[in-house]
Amino acid sequence: MSDLLRILENEFQIIAISFLIFVYILRIVWLFRFKSSKEKTYPEGNAKAGIAYSMLNVAMPWTMETTRKKHFFYIQFVLFHLGVTLAIGATFIIPYWPHLFEIKAIVWIFQFIVGVAFIVGLFRLYRRLADASIRLISSWDDYFSLILMILYFAVAFLAIPINYQRSEWPLILFFALTAFFLIYVPFSKIGHYLYYPFTRFFLGRTMGHRGVFAKKKKNRSTEGL
Amino acid sequence: MPDLEVKGKKIELSQEGFLYNPQEWDDDVARALAKAEEGIEDMSEDHWTVINYIREYFLEKNLAPMVRKVCKNTGFPLKYIFELFPSGPAKGACKVAGLPKPDGCV
Amino acid sequence: MSEKIKNKRIKIEDITNLPLELESQKKASQEKIGSVSEGKLKLYNQQKKNVDRFRELLSEKITRQLASSMVACVHCGMCAESCHYSLTRPDDPKMTPVYKADQIRRIFKKHIDWTGRVFPKWVKARSPVDDQDLNHLKNIVFGTCSACRRCTFNCPMGVETALLIRFARGILTDLGIVPEGVFNVSRDQWETGNQMAVTEEDYLDTLDWMKEELQEELDIPDIDIPIDKEDCDFMYTINPREIKFDPRSISHAAKIFHFAGEKWTMPKWGWDQTNFGLFSGDDRLGAYVAKNVYEAAVRLRAKRIVISECGHGYRSTRWEGYNWAEYDQNIPTESVILTLMRYIQKGMIKVDPAKNPEPVTFHDSCNLARSGDLLEAPRWVLDKVCTDYREMFPNRRENFCCTGGGGLLSMAEYRPLRLEVAKVKAEQLEATGAKLVCTICHNCVDGLTDLIKHYKLDMKVVQILELVSNSMVIRMP
Ligand code: SF4
Ligand code: SF4
Repeated sequence: MSDLLRILENEFQIIAISFLIFVYILRIVWLFRFKSSKEKTYPEGNAKAGIAYSMLNVAMPWTMETTRKKHFFYIQFVLFHLGVTLAIGATFIIPYWPHLFEIKAIVWIFQFIVGVAFIVGLFRLYRRLADASIRLISSWDDYFSLILMILYFAVAFLAIPINYQRSEWPLILFFALTAFFLIYVPFSKIGHYLYYPFTRFFLGRTMGHRGVFAKKKKNRSTEGL
Repeated sequence: MPDLEVKGKKIELSQEGFLYNPQEWDDDVARALAKAEEGIEDMSEDHWTVINYIREYFLEKNLAPMVRKVCKNTGFPLKYIFELFPSGPAKGACKVAGLPKPDGCV
Repeated sequence: MSEKIKNKRIKIEDITNLPLELESQKKASQEKIGSVSEGKLKLYNQQKKNVDRFRELLSEKITRQLASSMVACVHCGMCAESCHYSLTRPDDPKMTPVYKADQIRRIFKKHIDWTGRVFPKWVKARSPVDDQDLNHLKNIVFGTCSACRRCTFNCPMGVETALLIRFARGILTDLGIVPEGVFNVSRDQWETGNQMAVTEEDYLDTLDWMKEELQEELDIPDIDIPIDKEDCDFMYTINPREIKFDPRSISHAAKIFHFAGEKWTMPKWGWDQTNFGLFSGDDRLGAYVAKNVYEAAVRLRAKRIVISECGHGYRSTRWEGYNWAEYDQNIPTESVILTLMRYIQKGMIKVDPAKNPEPVTFHDSCNLARSGDLLEAPRWVLDKVCTDYREMFPNRRENFCCTGGGGLLSMAEYRPLRLEVAKVKAEQLEATGAKLVCTICHNCVDGLTDLIKHYKLDMKVVQILELVSNSMVIRMP
């Protein structure tokens, strides 16, 4: 392994991750500086149950009309994000537990999912360009982030079967891209997973409090009203 | 909204079928409005009683009368007003009487 | 049948280029009406730096909840599948919820968010430059969204698009850049405490009249519509439309309350449970109107507030109003639908479903279903008072707006577009095969009636008080 790659895999990644965490903390502090509203009404349902229900939305495709009707969209959403998770996982496995990738089956699974995510990414890019409604709302950041993801999947696909002998380039590229990501993400739409808990929390709290979220028993009784 | 043709004259209607220029109103316009908007083929004497009252009230106060006032002054029970104008006093009677659309969620 | 109706397609520019109408504002300023001189009702002033003020208000008013909805959207476009505007006009990219929300989001990005402040072009951040731009924004947030919240429930990220729209409306209201209808109704509610400028005299006179008619109709001399009676079990609040144009619903209610043996009253002041602040986005107006109701209940020592059939009124009085007014809820507030349910459950009134034999379906009003909690209660009651109930699909949280929500019924200029996009609703109604569509919202009554007429459907709109009153079995002593 070259020195370049070793530093890239270790110190460099740690610096980049620290930067990411630092910016994320700033970002959360930033969000918390906006004033929050107080709930003054009697509850009808349960805010906590609503929050739980709302947070789990991502895993309950049947609760939302869009995901219930469009299976394809949900499946490609899952694959895409699974691809992201595995690719990120690989950035830790390669420097710290490389023996995991000595097991062929694991390499294949990783490669398969990341490969599918790559195809989903291409499809998403096509959709973003072809659908006039989505084109209209898309910014450079949207395109750039997506292209970056597609590239990332491709590079991850090549890097996962660790092979220093044949060529180090896939790995160098992979870790260079990872580092770039870590720095770029908090300023781009890719950081949306940081906000998911927030929007979902607020929506769940309101709707839970009002008894709209978390399907309740039919025909509530008016006893005690 | 299609404008109204009355005796060869074109009467401009608002988006909701109310007269654009309330001063353009006359009996023929009322008949045409009743037919186009309320499906009333022949205006009966009772229709006219209601319409004329609303019209007078409007000209005096620049305001649509409460349905209470309509009933009190025409002597018709509320139910009958709804029989005469299926869309009710606001969207039915006031419209035929050539008033602009009343404010609020109606 | 709705298939046969060929809508004239509205050009979106005809909506977004609608000018700012100022006639009513000029009149209000000449007449020096109270709410204007007290600074409650805002007028448009061309001389002022409105764009700068918009920015200031944006930073002043934004909350954590709104800010997170501003940053969380990933531009995935899923919400386009849920909005009746984009569903009826799929080839019009300006109809998607995300596009509409982006019109306010990009101003937020430009002035408050990080990346947009440094690299605005990169994330499509942009500030309005002149009042023309603000007027354009007005036409989008008031004219192309009924604030029904359906998109929120279908957004994987939980982005509150409808709240962002309301937020933008609120800022524009503060600058006087509003549709004329919004201005007029706000004016009336500020000035007279109710949406339709009903005077106290007219209010009392109408109630008195309803009482007399009831006494005559039922031949019961002691049936009453009590006014300002203290220590009652509940205080009944209504929609001014009931007083001004259709008081039949008041008499249905009075009749039911009488036979249930209820101790109830209506307040002399604070009787309007509707709230235009919800639509205009003006929290101060919202607080003022809601507080009138809460304070009336305290004054009369009522044990409970009952809200007549109204979607936005329920949402405002039961939920948002307390928060706008920062008023701790002190007594239960319920929709009359729950009152009815209690009467039937406890046997306080007897009903016979055979008296309502026509097939009836139920339309969930957005503000009651998505933004309220009344999903099952109306169905429970309908099941007891009708023989042929037919569900509408989709329903409950997923129902489509009557298409007249968000105050759109008071903005005539947007009506052609409103009716064009009502196609989804018309098809949904028609598919039920019902002859009656029941709703517990006065606003929905008008929205639905309008589209039924436009699409020539063979249907009539009814309200639940009417059906219950109809089905009552009255045993005369
Ligand atoms: S609002 Fe939600 S559904 Fe619509 S584009 Fe944004 S993230 Fe996607
Ligand atoms: S709130 Fe309703 S009308 Fe407005 S954008 Fe969302 S779905 Fe469309």
